[in-house]
Amino acid sequence: MSEANMQTSAIIPPVDVQAVKPLKRPPGPWRTAWSKFRRNPYAMSGLVVLLVFVFCGAFAPWLTKYDPAKIDLMFANLKAGTDGHLLGTDEVGRDIFARLLYSARISLTVGFAVAAGSVIIGTLIGSISGYFGGFIDTCFMRLVDVMNSIPLLFLNILVLAIFGTEFRYMISVLILTSWMSVARLVRGTFLQLREMQYVEAARAIGVSNFGIIFRHLLRNASFPIIVNATLMVGAAILSESALSYLGLGIKAPDTSWGLMLTNAREFMLIDPMQSVYPGVCILLVVLAVNFIGDGIQDSLNPRQKMSERRIDRWRKSFLKSKI
Amino acid sequence: MTEFFIRRTLQSVLVLFLITLVTFGLIHAAPGGPFQMMLAPGLSPEAMKVQAHNMGLDQPLPMQYLHWLGNLLQGDLGYTFKNHLPIGQVIWPTVENTFVLMGVAWLLTLIIAIPWGIYNSTKEYSLSDQTASFISYIGFAMPTFWFGIILQQIFSIKLDWLPLADMYTMDKEGQLGDLMMHLILPVSVLTLSFLAAYVKYSRSSMMEVLDKDYIRTARAKGVREGKVIYKHALRNALIPVITIVALDLPLLVAGAALTESVFNWPGMGRLFVQMAVAREYSVLMAITLLTAVIVIVGNLIADLLYAVVDPRVQLGKRGGRSA
Repeated sequence: MSEANMQTSAIIPPVDVQAVKPLKRPPGPWRTAWSKFRRNPYAMSGLVVLLVFVFCGAFAPWLTKYDPAKIDLMFANLKAGTDGHLLGTDEVGRDIFARLLYSARISLTVGFAVAAGSVIIGTLIGSISGYFGGFIDTCFMRLVDVMNSIPLLFLNILVLAIFGTEFRYMISVLILTSWMSVARLVRGTFLQLREMQYVEAARAIGVSNFGIIFRHLLRNASFPIIVNATLMVGAAILSESALSYLGLGIKAPDTSWGLMLTNAREFMLIDPMQSVYPGVCILLVVLAVNFIGDGIQDSLNPRQKMSERRIDRWRKSFLKSKI
Repeated sequence: MTEFFIRRTLQSVLVLFLITLVTFGLIHAAPGGPFQMMLAPGLSPEAMKVQAHNMGLDQPLPMQYLHWLGNLLQGDLGYTFKNHLPIGQVIWPTVENTFVLMGVAWLLTLIIAIPWGIYNSTKEYSLSDQTASFISYIGFAMPTFWFGIILQQIFSIKLDWLPLADMYTMDKEGQLGDLMMHLILPVSVLTLSFLAAYVKYSRSSMMEVLDKDYIRTARAKGVREGKVIYKHALRNALIPVITIVALDLPLLVAGAALTESVFNWPGMGRLFVQMAVAREYSVLMAITLLTAVIVIVGNLIADLLYAVVDPRVQLGKRGGRSA
């Protein structure tokens, strides 16, 4: 008996239960996506650039000793590098570098606030519309039609002209003119999924409508929503700069890249570089955000490269509010 | 087909009606009422009342709306506050100017974009394809008005080759050559921003078609590659491209508020911005409505065209589609 036992243990060494590591859980979708995202050089450089701008915006007071709003005609139109003015001063003596830094703050705030607001409103409307269907759906979709039939830049200008160009109005009006794509996307996903068996099962065991929408359906739409939100950040930054440029957005003493371009344009003959910097900043931030959005898209769904749908979304959000 | 046509048309009429409601509501949500500034400031309260009565401002809002709508349907857009000009007279000339600018930019874009996209679809990841990708990324991320400013600095101020702004040089009104010179810069700006989307569009549309079974069949039969592409694939690939072009056509008239402002082009977009700053609400209302009508009719035509060109389209399912 004991000999037999010995033999077995010679063939199969005794297992130390404590030492065996449990099987690793397969990585979740977020982790898989991140590991793909990390290997995408465009997306990663986009992320780095965005973080640099976020850093600049957040720590603007520590990065420059100048006040972006301080007017001092004694120091107007200084060349780059004089007196510690890294990029010189503008026509009324404001430090250009400081203004750029503080503008990053405004632009990024607008970008993220608008994206977040649009995602919330779009998700709400889209899920109600797609889940319940019927009359509510018709109403919301007609509303989307109405919004899409007015050139959005016009609508932004109209609302700001009526209510005044305060910061909160600008954020609100940008949200009100950009939730439609999220709503459509969420609605589409819901329409596809609401007849699935697992939804029916959830309903059968008595999960409330609210629970089905948020626990079972919305998760399936979360990836596309994120991609959409990223692209929206860029579009909102462009819209903000455009509105500020036209004199209907940020106003002095606050500062924004769009507003800086308005000033710079008047002094084109004196200092051409003044109109270069803010534009380059806008270009870099929006490019970075778009690269990130693309990277997320590719990491979630690598087979669907530049699909028609995606270009369509780009076209809508950019072309309509840009020209 | 007839049913689809009728339903689509009714839908458009409904959306249009909703837009009149939204615009009217927006204007009347203005603090202090929209027409306050129409009343002369120095008037006594009694005289003011009389004037308000004469203009119908003392009636309840629904009545005012119906009155306004009635005038609108008869083609009476109202008068401007300041100089009391008929609004139609203010708007129409700018429509024409916008049409010239946008039309030229549009045609140029199509002439470049469609062949380029199709060429790229057969040469994936070639230098030409990469260049198109690069341009599209930059084109999507760049603030168009900034690009305009930079072009002005280089070609008008530094090199002095092209006129800085406006449509004609003084005392050269109506001369074609002068107009052409003034068109070059704004058209380049607009073309670049359109180009990005269209090259990608025609490329992806063509690639989709090239994947189809009938293309494989054609190749298997031994049809020459050139013939496969230009005879079999191209026609089918152009269908979605044409639809998109039709969907974007309204932009021709809606104009380019930003580009027109940068280049001081006397078009509808610039008029809108000027009127917004001057708070000429009734002009804003008229332009918003006018563009909405054009967008809706454009979408309607695009939808119907699509149905006619491509009989495979399931009419019912495309009903809710719009820009």
